[in-house]
Amino acid sequence: MRALEQAIDLAAAFEASTNPYMLLTPDLRYAGMNAAYLTAVGMQRDQLIGRPIFDIFTGGEDAEGEENLRQLKASFEKVLTTGDRDHLALIRFAMPVTDANGVTTHEERFWSASHTPLHDAAGNIVLILQHTSDITELERLRRSRDDAPLVSALDMILGGGVMTRAHAVQEDNRRLETERNRLVEMFMQAPGFVAILSGPQHVFQLHNDAYARIVGRGDIAGKTIREALPDLEGQGYFELLDSVYATGEPYEGKGASVTFRPEGSDRDISRNVDFLYQPIRDGAGKVVGIFVQGHDVTETVHAAQRQKLMIDELNHRVKNTLATIQSIAMQTARSHEDPKTFAESFQARLMSLSHTHDLLTRSHWEGADLRAVLEHETAAHGPTRIVLNGPPLALGPAAALSLGMIFHELATNAAKYGALSDPDGRVFVDWTVANQASRTLKVIWREVGGPPVEAPTRRGFGSRLIERNVRHDLAGEAKLSYASDGFIAEFSIPLDRDSQHNG
Amino acid sequence: MAEGLTGRRILVVEDESLVAMLLETILEDMGAIPVGAIATVDEALEVVADDPLLDAALLDVNVAGKEVFPVAEALKAKGIPFVFSTGYGEGGLPDHWRGQATIQKPFTEDAVKAALFKALGVAQV
Repeated sequence: MRALEQAIDLAAAFEASTNPYMLLTPDLRYAGMNAAYLTAVGMQRDQLIGRPIFDIFTGGEDAEGEENLRQLKASFEKVLTTGDRDHLALIRFAMPVTDANGVTTHEERFWSASHTPLHDAAGNIVLILQHTSDITELERLRRSRDDAPLVSALDMILGGGVMTRAHAVQEDNRRLETERNRLVEMFMQAPGFVAILSGPQHVFQLHNDAYARIVGRGDIAGKTIREALPDLEGQGYFELLDSVYATGEPYEGKGASVTFRPEGSDRDISRNVDFLYQPIRDGAGKVVGIFVQGHDVTETVHAAQRQKLMIDELNHRVKNTLATIQSIAMQTARSHEDPKTFAESFQARLMSLSHTHDLLTRSHWEGADLRAVLEHETAAHGPTRIVLNGPPLALGPAAALSLGMIFHELATNAAKYGALSDPDGRVFVDWTVANQASRTLKVIWREVGGPPVEAPTRRGFGSRLIERNVRHDLAGEAKLSYASDGFIAEFSIPLDRDSQHNG
Repeated sequence: MAEGLTGRRILVVEDESLVAMLLETILEDMGAIPVGAIATVDEALEVVADDPLLDAALLDVNVAGKEVFPVAEALKAKGIPFVFSTGYGEGGLPDHWRGQATIQKPFTEDAVKAALFKALGVAQV
């Protein structure tokens, strides 16, 4: 009895409610509705009972109407398939209105609705209860606002009308939410840096890991850029952002230099970045934020700088080498009146220099081994005639070039006047490294079995080159002894000088 | 031809002996007296400080990895004219020294002579 009374009370309350309610059968025909519903739709009860709801509601002629019908159907289907309640937060639905002259027009209304399944004892859905609120006035009010301060830069950037559409396309909401999350996820994982700044003060609304990494700070969300990155002050970036925000003109930076002072660090870090400041606009075209994206091009910029330095250095070395060859040509010419012997002598010196260059090129100009330099310069005279004896020793480029030229002159001289001019003559080259604290290379070039030696009457280019090179280029000492039983050259060369650079 | 340089003592700062020998030969051919050649900036500064009889100098811009400009400053302070020699080309000199008489490696005798005349303010006949 009590249950019946309750049912009667509930039915009365349902009928009396100012909120529109209606009940649909699972095949979407009207099973019942209250007075408020009839008022809202402007129909009589007997016009509706038993009729399919979509005979009554056609949604108007336009595309949005069709879309809304689709949404409504989808919501019912969802309730029927899942057995769960479904909500439509906002749906525009044109209602047929018949005026005093009997002319029917459609009037645009905005609704919010929830659809609740009612089950029988076996759990089958027997009815769908629709609870509707007419929010037309509210929605009109919302839409009439010119400026929409609640529209965030993030909402606007996430696919332009995504959020706007979300209002109309309620069924898509979850999918859009997923899409939005996926976009955010993509931002977060992008290899380049990405940030979204909102409002004229450029408040960090979103930034990805790459952004936090390059600025060296993690606690920037919700702060203005001036608060978050005070280390950028004076570098022009704040002013650029202000200008992009004010003018709506995007700004693109190429290889721009930027200096960060990471949190808790006392050291500045300079990077080069390619970046874009892209204004974000709301539906009315007003700038509401700035999309920042870019990537670190420090390595590329450095590589370009290194390349320029290398080209400058190469040019410098080539010019120096040319000056060296010029000198060799001039000095050689002075000791050879005969063009034929000049050419031979000059070529031999050129080839010697070239050989040492080859050796250095193999080590990327880091240096060359002393024995390799010696072998290059003495190979032409046969492997058994010059005996090399000493430890492996890495020479810097300048020392390798100097010693290459020196040994070339010694070998040439030995072949012309010394031990190598006699088939039984030999040359012994011994070297040691003395004084490990301040290493000194000692080299002795000793000729035996050659013709009797006489000191030259005038110093030729060869001996001047040897002495000058050792003293001047290698800061060492040279002693040339014209002993009667064989020529001896002794060198003492410091190995660990600060610079071996050829200027 | 080269009377303006006869007997002039010219400091040569150049770290590469072959290039130094070339400059010495050119200077001797012009009747000048080469002083040096000096292979480091420090030694060159000593010579500039100690030798009261220098008439001019030829300065390699990069001497054993160091810039020669302190030597140039010392010479300027003493009013001794000088000529830069460089393998770096026109752009190799900092703005401060632009316009200074300069010879580019490799150089001809005429170029060395002309630059020295310019630095010494001697009219070339």
